[in-house]
Amino acid sequence: MNWDLIIFYYLAIVMIFSSVFAIFSRHPVYTVLLVLVMIIHQAFLLLTLGAEFLTVVQIIVYAGAILVLFLFVVYLINLRKETKRNVFIKRASLIAIIFLVLGAFLMINFFSLISLKPSFKAYLPFTVEEKSNVWWIANYLFKSYLLQFEIIGVILLVAIFGAVFLIRKVKTFE
Amino acid sequence: MPSLEQYIILAIILFLIGLFGFLTRRNLIIILISIEIMLNGLIVLFAAISHFTKDISGYIIVFFIIAMAAAEAAIGLSLVILIYKRLRTVYSDEITTFKG
Repeated sequence: MNWDLIIFYYLAIVMIFSSVFAIFSRHPVYTVLLVLVMIIHQAFLLLTLGAEFLTVVQIIVYAGAILVLFLFVVYLINLRKETKRNVFIKRASLIAIIFLVLGAFLMINFFSLISLKPSFKAYLPFTVEEKSNVWWIANYLFKSYLLQFEIIGVILLVAIFGAVFLIRKVKTFE
Repeated sequence: MPSLEQYIILAIILFLIGLFGFLTRRNLIIILISIEIMLNGLIVLFAAISHFTKDISGYIIVFFIIAMAAAEAAIGLSLVILIYKRLRTVYSDEITTFKG
């Protein structure tokens, strides 16, 4: 057994279990910290796929910006303990059974689909070629996908304006 | 080297976990975190397909997904704070303003 499969199984198992415990956790701070564990393991999973730039972007943006934003909101909102009541809605067990059936159906469908087609073969990653991964991403991002890059900048700007507009001073009433 | 099928199975499992949390949790913040888990499943899927078909477009799509997730988290959390300011609750089954 080679090290690639060991590292992949370690990362996959930690990702799945941390996200399951995050969903089933009773306190929101534990949820955010477990999702932080999941995101850092996923960044190293992207590193096994040969995407170093996306690894760094994942750690900076997700772990550094988005989850800290979630943590600030969890601290800001005065949550009472959820220990008294159920954390799920009323018909959660029915939805869980439906999801088990749906997941099994997706797996069976997927395996029947890949049994028809020839299996994909692993290629060498971009990094062993003469140019690095960052060079390829920059070359495509600023030449072929330049319009989409500008559009995503405008979307982020509109999101900032929307957040400021929503959080402006409103009258609170009890 | 793990195969593409293993990466796709991992992506499906993460997406289903996130969708289950999105549909069943009561807390609005954890509903938004479940959306992040679903987006992480999509990131694994796009990066794996881009790696195995040797096409750089999947990495670019992952880049755009991360930017979209940042914008979506900002808007969603500001809506949660707005709901908490107005209604003093963040539980989805206690928000009965529209008698829904």
